[in-house]
Amino acid sequence: MASKWKSSCATAVVAAFAGTVIACASAVAQNAAREIALGAIVPSSGPFAEWGRTNTATLQMLEKQLNAAGGGAKYRIVIMDDGARPAQATNNLRKLAGDDKVLAVAGPLTSSAAEVTFPVANEMKVVATSQASSKPGVAKLNRPWAFRNTIDEGVLGRTTVPYFKKTFNIKSVAIIYDAKDATASTVGSRIMPALMKENDIAILNENDPLSFNTGDLDVSAQVTKLKSLNPDGVVVSADYSQGVTVIREMKRQGLIKPVVGATQLISSAILKAAPEIPIVAPATFYATMKSENAEKFVKELTPVLRGTSGLPREIEPSMYDANIYEIISMYVDAVKKTGVTGKAEDLEADRAKVRDYMTKLVGFAGLGGPIGFNDDGDAIKAFYIVQGQNGAWETKVRGCSTAPGHAGC
Amino acid sequence: MLLQQLVNGLTLGAVYTLIALSFSLVMGILGVLNLAIAELFMLGAYFGFAAILAQLPLPVALLGGMLGAALVAIVVQKIAYEPLRNAPVVTPMLSTLGFSIILQNVATNVWGSDPLQLPDEVLPGRFTLGPVSISAMQLTVIGATVVLVAILAFVVQKTPAGRALRAVAENRDVARLLGVSATRVTLLAFALSGVMAGAGGVLIGMHYAVITPYMGVDIGLKAIAVMVVGGTTRIWGALVAGPLIGVVEVMTVAYGGSQVRDFVVYGFMILILLLRPQGILGGSRADQGQRV
Repeated sequence: MASKWKSSCATAVVAAFAGTVIACASAVAQNAAREIALGAIVPSSGPFAEWGRTNTATLQMLEKQLNAAGGGAKYRIVIMDDGARPAQATNNLRKLAGDDKVLAVAGPLTSSAAEVTFPVANEMKVVATSQASSKPGVAKLNRPWAFRNTIDEGVLGRTTVPYFKKTFNIKSVAIIYDAKDATASTVGSRIMPALMKENDIAILNENDPLSFNTGDLDVSAQVTKLKSLNPDGVVVSADYSQGVTVIREMKRQGLIKPVVGATQLISSAILKAAPEIPIVAPATFYATMKSENAEKFVKELTPVLRGTSGLPREIEPSMYDANIYEIISMYVDAVKKTGVTGKAEDLEADRAKVRDYMTKLVGFAGLGGPIGFNDDGDAIKAFYIVQGQNGAWETKVRGCSTAPGHAGC
Repeated sequence: MLLQQLVNGLTLGAVYTLIALSFSLVMGILGVLNLAIAELFMLGAYFGFAAILAQLPLPVALLGGMLGAALVAIVVQKIAYEPLRNAPVVTPMLSTLGFSIILQNVATNVWGSDPLQLPDEVLPGRFTLGPVSISAMQLTVIGATVVLVAILAFVVQKTPAGRALRAVAENRDVARLLGVSATRVTLLAFALSGVMAGAGGVLIGMHYAVITPYMGVDIGLKAIAVMVVGGTTRIWGALVAGPLIGVVEVMTVAYGGSQVRDFVVYGFMILILLLRPQGILGGSRADQGQRV
């Protein structure tokens, strides 16, 4: 009787063990077969092609790293070029969400594109996170699926302008901005004038705004006018490629005055325009910043960028490369932590899991410090007021885009 | 400030003149709007930059930009115009539009979309005359434009090649009956237009010391406006219209705001088209002007 009982017991144990082994093997096989598609919208052509191409190289590197690390799903990043054209960005999002069935999308890059693409993300119920848009309120208008891994320029300006005033003893400024760029136009016509007034800085051309259009090579008339105003400092609200044109012309006409601007100015190219003109701007990342994560990222990405055809040999990772790297890393973290299945029939539920993960995100280990999101969908992260002069950016102030009811940096 | 803005306007107008002459050469002689000229201007700037960055002197850079753009213009003629010579006039125009987009893409892939900058000014000197400050490079731009226009005038008016150009412009079939090779003349017109556009590119590139692959689009459109205002049937109309549009544009920006700049420039063009379709200096043969 006892031996029969022992035999039954042994059979049960073996059966249970075999069952466990089979279940484990099945789970491993399922994981091995599971492919998670993520989307990205970048401007690989058009005026911001440099940013789009470095974004592409960054994502390709990250895809390799994720799949080499193993331990779960296989990741596929579908990258689409919008040429910085809003209509194209919208089409891209529809294709990524509808045809490629991606879990979430990184991009688009510009505020102009984000303004028209985010409503489509809401309609298709897929998370879209911009890597560069910083015009105030763009994600706020498109809750709950739109996010931006950037900080509102109004928030950044509250630290930038006092530093600029104090450092260069600024009592008056003249403002020039790119009227065709959504962010630059908002910063130049609304945010900076308000901040200057808050800081008791006179705006010499308050009733006579000076602007130019994206792509203009000749800004001589505007700079002649700036020079005639004799301001203590100049606000240049434009992306760096247009900023280069303005600062070059300032140098040509002998207007050597400190310049302040928004995150759009951050680039190594602008430092070459007129090394003698100090430039102050906010940044959440720059290639020479000191932090373990950032330095590792720069070390890995720089040779990849420099080995990519069509990119300058001396190119360095930009803030937007860091931002898009962080966005995809957040999505991957969401996959790991929220039980995303990756099955076609669960796509809608999986997308909702990513949305909820992003909404509640606190303390994600970003390249420049911990990252979360505020109620408007904008990033809560560390930022730095940097000063560029004689060819290099240098951190002057560290800040955090804290929001009430949310953890800080 | 007014006089300084006038200098700014004349410098810009000088470059418009060169590119408008480039458009006029092909338009006036062949009745075709070669939209790739805007990108020949851009390529000329890149060729000039490459020469300056290779430590070559400015005259060599200018020559290199002119020759490089002329060679590309010949390629455009062979691929985008010649096979479509007998097609409706809009067909080669669309073909050159396609070519211009390809050239812009090539430039973006070769040099990147970031602005390419010169480390220092090519001619750093400045001259101050009372309230006006004019740089050596601005003087060079205006001076080189005057010289190039004079050389072009000589070629068109006094040489056998120029006479052939004018004969084809007058009546292509009669010119052919008189022994003029229309194919050679067409090639010459494209090459000369490339030379002028390339020169404009080098000069403006050296003047601003910063160029991008997208610089041709806006300036090219303005040059078309200059050509229309000056008169499409007379290439010399650009001589008057170039500085005129340059000064109008700069003054509008300085005293009216850049938000109304394009309204004024292109509004002026439409006004000229309505009141004097042949342009300021255009002849009475309005039929050619309508072939745009």
